[in-house]
Formats: sequence, structure tokens, C-alpha cells
Amino acid sequence: MRTISKKICLLGDFAVGKTSLTRRFVYDLFSDKYISTIGVRVSRKTVAIPVGGDVVELTIMLWDLGGSEEFNLMRASYLRGAVGAVLVCDLTRPGTLDMIRTYADELLSVSPGAHFVLAANKCDLIDHQRLAQEHVESTAADVNAPYYYTSAKTGDEVETLFRHLGRLLIA
Amino acid sequence: MTGDSCHPSSTDASGSPQGLQAEPPLEDLRDILFGRYRRQIAELEAELDDLERRVTDQDALVAIIAPVLGDAIRRKIRDARDEMIEALYPVIGQAVVRAVSEAIRDLVRTMDARVRTSFSPRALWWRLRARLGGVSDAEIAIREALPFEVIEVFLIHRETGLLLQHVSREPEASPDSDLISGMLTAIRDFAQDTFGRGEEGELDEIQYGERCILLEAARHAYLAVVVDGVEPPGFRAEMRERVVEVEHAYEGVLRHYDGDATSLAPVEGSLRSLMTVAAPRELSRAQKLVLAGAVGFVVVCVAGAGLAGGWAWRTVRSTPTPVLVAIEPTSTSTVTPSPMPSATATIAPSPTPTLPPSPTNTPSPTPTFTPTPSPVIGLMTGSVWLHEGPSPESPRLGMILQRGQAVEILAVLGDWCRVRWAPETQVQIVGWVPLEWVGTTEAIPSRIITPTAGP
Repeated sequence: MRTISKKICLLGDFAVGKTSLTRRFVYDLFSDKYISTIGVRVSRKTVAIPVGGDVVELTIMLWDLGGSEEFNLMRASYLRGAVGAVLVCDLTRPGTLDMIRTYADELLSVSPGAHFVLAANKCDLIDHQRLAQEHVESTAADVNAPYYYTSAKTGDEVETLFRHLGRLLIA
Repeated sequence: MTGDSCHPSSTDASGSPQGLQAEPPLEDLRDILFGRYRRQIAELEAELDDLERRVTDQDALVAIIAPVLGDAIRRKIRDARDEMIEALYPVIGQAVVRAVSEAIRDLVRTMDARVRTSFSPRALWWRLRARLGGVSDAEIAIREALPFEVIEVFLIHRETGLLLQHVSREPEASPDSDLISGMLTAIRDFAQDTFGRGEEGELDEIQYGERCILLEAARHAYLAVVVDGVEPPGFRAEMRERVVEVEHAYEGVLRHYDGDATSLAPVEGSLRSLMTVAAPRELSRAQKLVLAGAVGFVVVCVAGAGLAGGWAWRTVRSTPTPVLVAIEPTSTSTVTPSPMPSATATIAPSPTPTLPPSPTNTPSPTPTFTPTPSPVIGLMTGSVWLHEGPSPESPRLGMILQRGQAVEILAVLGDWCRVRWAPETQVQIVGWVPLEWVGTTEAIPSRIITPTAGP
């Protein structure tokens, strides 16, 4: 079995649920406080991805980047070497979807050919959703990414989303 | 009118008309006018007395000041830190310097004593190194005593922060090495973006307590070495050498790293070697040359001494054994004159007193004792070989008479004299030595001088 590692990032506005998604999915060693101090925290998840008749053990090194503006200057450094990203928006805040294109372009500028998946998060807050599915679908198509309605709270589609990204990285 | 001014004591309690008696009303009036102030003065006097008592009583004064002293100092430090530092430095600074100096001196003394009283090969090696390095034994010992240990070595891809290779003293203790490498990379990036913007240089060390992470970067990869203690001189150069080696050997892999570290497996040995060079670096190249020269010189000297000793031993072994003669009871001797000295020195028995045969009828002379001459004693004035015969060509007897040695002169033939020497052992050694090396306090008696053919 082949073993490979890839660096991916979580990108999205402040409080869209990036860290919660990460916590749902990965093994954490470092505290969340790193995100507020140096603007990033690294986590890991190892998944087995079937490729042809073989299985690849993929270790995803997940860089959870702080969404606040104070770390904008450092974001380019943190994005370097990432081959993919989970773009996260908040279904209860339409403005967070508008920024997705910007984040995708930012990564593509330092890592051309990067792969994306879009996580429309907080789908458990049904009564507060203010984003139409067409809008989400349109943005996902714009950045050439599959999209999932996720909930860090219930865990809906979180595993599926990361596995999808894993397959994209191995392919 | 206030209550005070309407003091109950100032009213007429008996109900008699006031002003008829002169004194009491005046006093009442005074009380009305000044009573309040009198009482206040009395209270103030009491308070002053109490204050005076507290001030003069040291314990009471401390009890008053102590609760607020800490707060006062804290506030003063907060409001006027520089002023406080200036005020306290002459006292605290000197005290700290003195304490640190004394601690270091104690340490050096202890180490020095330990080194000087130790004769282990390690201690001797320290001394040699100290001499070569121009430092004291104690300083070398202290340097040797500084703990240094490599705990872990990370080889990390610089751009992605992915772990390329990892070696550790306790591999099972580092399951999160890939996470650590990611965070280390993030911290490096953070430091570079925050403090090194527009400047050359990188974060090359992270210190926490006794442990330290040493960082050494090449173009596509960097090394992070977790160490305990102070790294010895040259360790960083060793790190740089390793990472550059990896960079050169795997430049293609590192440039387009796809996350598969299998091809980098061979570098593990190279990284592990950093753990073995963790011991303090030995001597510099020049020092090693000097040391090698000194060792070579010593070896040559020892070998030369060995060869010379062997030659001398062989020479001694090849010379004839000295003639040993049993000590005779008599003290006189005569030499039979002969034109040519005999090859073997022998001592002719001297005449001894003999008792006459038993008396017969025929008259016989009265027995008499012949006085024997006293031995002629000489003193060696030089250290010379003892020869079998009175000639330099004569074989040596394998013995050197030392300067200052007393000998008995048995005979003189030309420029040589025959001497007898009795060492501690109960034997006598007889041989010939040049006369010039034998001194006497009196003229040598003619009876032992053998005349030689004159010109």
C-alpha cells in the first residue's frame, strides 16, 4: 500500500465553522488557541483511498487558517505548498459565500492546479438558512468544486466531503 | 442652635436663677464657648499620644506599614520602573553579580579539584586538550560536563511542511512527528512574515527551558533537531552538511515533492549520524595535527630509547664477565713483576706467618712475625671501564667504576693500575684502569710499581 501525505487548507470567513469541521474530522494535537495566536493550526487525518485495484493511505495534513483579517498578510505563507482546500461558507450568512471565489483565487495564485471542495456549513440550522441552493451550486461551479451541505454539529457529510477531496488529490 | 451648643451639663439643673453666683456661670459660659474645642483637643492629644507610641514602638510601626508596603512598591514599579531600577540596581545588581560570580568560582574550583585529583584516561585527555586549547583543566571539564543530547531529528519539506524523515531516540514516543513538522513550519512562516519581512535570515532556534530546537534550512528542505543542553561547536555545521547532502542527492524529488517519502528512506542513516556526533566535537584540524605530531615524537623517542637500551644490553651481554675473587683473609699482596702483564689477573698469596716445627734438639731461629704493608687506597676521579689488562685494547670486564669510588691499588704498570674493588656483595672485583683516573692522597709506594722499559 502506498503512503503519501498532502497538505490542504480550510478557507473561509470568520466563524463559518472551519475549526468545528476540522474537529469533527481530524485528530487534534494542538489547541485551538494557535489559530488566534499565529493564525493557523495543523491537524491530521489519515484516510484510505481506493485507486484502481490498489489502496492509497493518504495522510491529509489540514491547515486550519484563521479567518480574521489580522492574519491576511500571513495567509499567503500558510497557503504555500497546499494542493487542495476546503472552502467553507455559512448557510446563515450569505456574505460568506461571496468570499469563496476570493479564497480560491488566493490559493490558486500560490498553488496552481489546487483542488477544492465547498462546504456549505451549518445545515442543521434549517430555520436560519438564508442561502439558496442555486446560489451555492453556482459558486461551487464557479470554482470548479463539488459541494456538500455539512453540519459540524451533527457531522453530516463531513467525512464524505474530506474523502471526496482526498480522491481528487490522489487522482 | 446645635446640640453641642445645648449641652445638657450647661443647663441649670437645680432650677435656681443663673448669674447670681459669679464663678459657676462664668465657668458655664466658658464651657459653652470652648467646651467643644476642649474636647476636640483632648481627643487629638490622645490620638497624638497613640501615634507617638506606635511610631516609637518598632513592632507597631511595622504592623502599620507592612500591609501597604507591597502595594506601594508594586505601584511605584508600575509607574516609575526605570526610576526603581536605577534606585535598586546598585544594591541588587551587585548582589546578583556577586552571587553568580561566587557560584561560578565554586563550580570551577570543584571541577578543578576533581580534574586534578583524577588520573583516569578521560581526565588525562581533558588535561591534554586543555593544554592544547590554552584553557584551564576546569574550563575543559565544565565544557565536557555540559549536557548535550540529540532527542529527535526532523527532515521537513520546506514548502509544504510535510515530514520527509524523522529519527528519534525513542521512536514510539513520537507518533505525532508529522503534526509537529507542520506546526514547526507554520511557526517558521509566522516568524518570517512577522519579524523578517524584507530581511534576510530565518528562524534558526526555538528555545524552551533546557530543550532547544535547532533549525537549519536548505532550498527545499530543512532540518529541525531537538536537543537537550548546549550544542558543541561545529554541530550546526554538521547539520548544514547533512541537509545540503540531502538537498543535492534528492533535489529532483524535493523540487516536485508529491507527498511520497519512500524514496527518501536512505537519508535516515545520515540523520541518525547526527545523534552520534552529539558528543562534544573533538579538536580542530590544526590541534589534531599538533597532537599527532606530539604523539609521533613521543613514539619516536620511546622507540629510540628502546633501541638504544637493546643495543646497550647486547653490548653488556657480549662483554666478558668480571672476574670475581673470593675475599682472602690476608690484607697484603704482592705482584709478581713480569715484563708483560698476564691476561688473567691473579693475586699471589702473600707470605703468612708460620709457626716453626716442633722443637728439636737442633737449635732453630726464634719465630718472628713479618709486618705486612698497609693497602694503598685510591679514589676514582672519573667513571671508567674496568679492563682485563693494562691496555685500552684489553677486553672490558663489563663494569664501570664510578667516580668517587674507593679502590685498593694493587699494582701499577706504566699508565695503568690494577685495582681491587669490593662492593656490598662478598666478592672482590679486580681489574685494570687508567692511572690518570685514580687519585691518591700519598705517593704510590714503589713496591707496587712495576718498572717498565724506559726510552
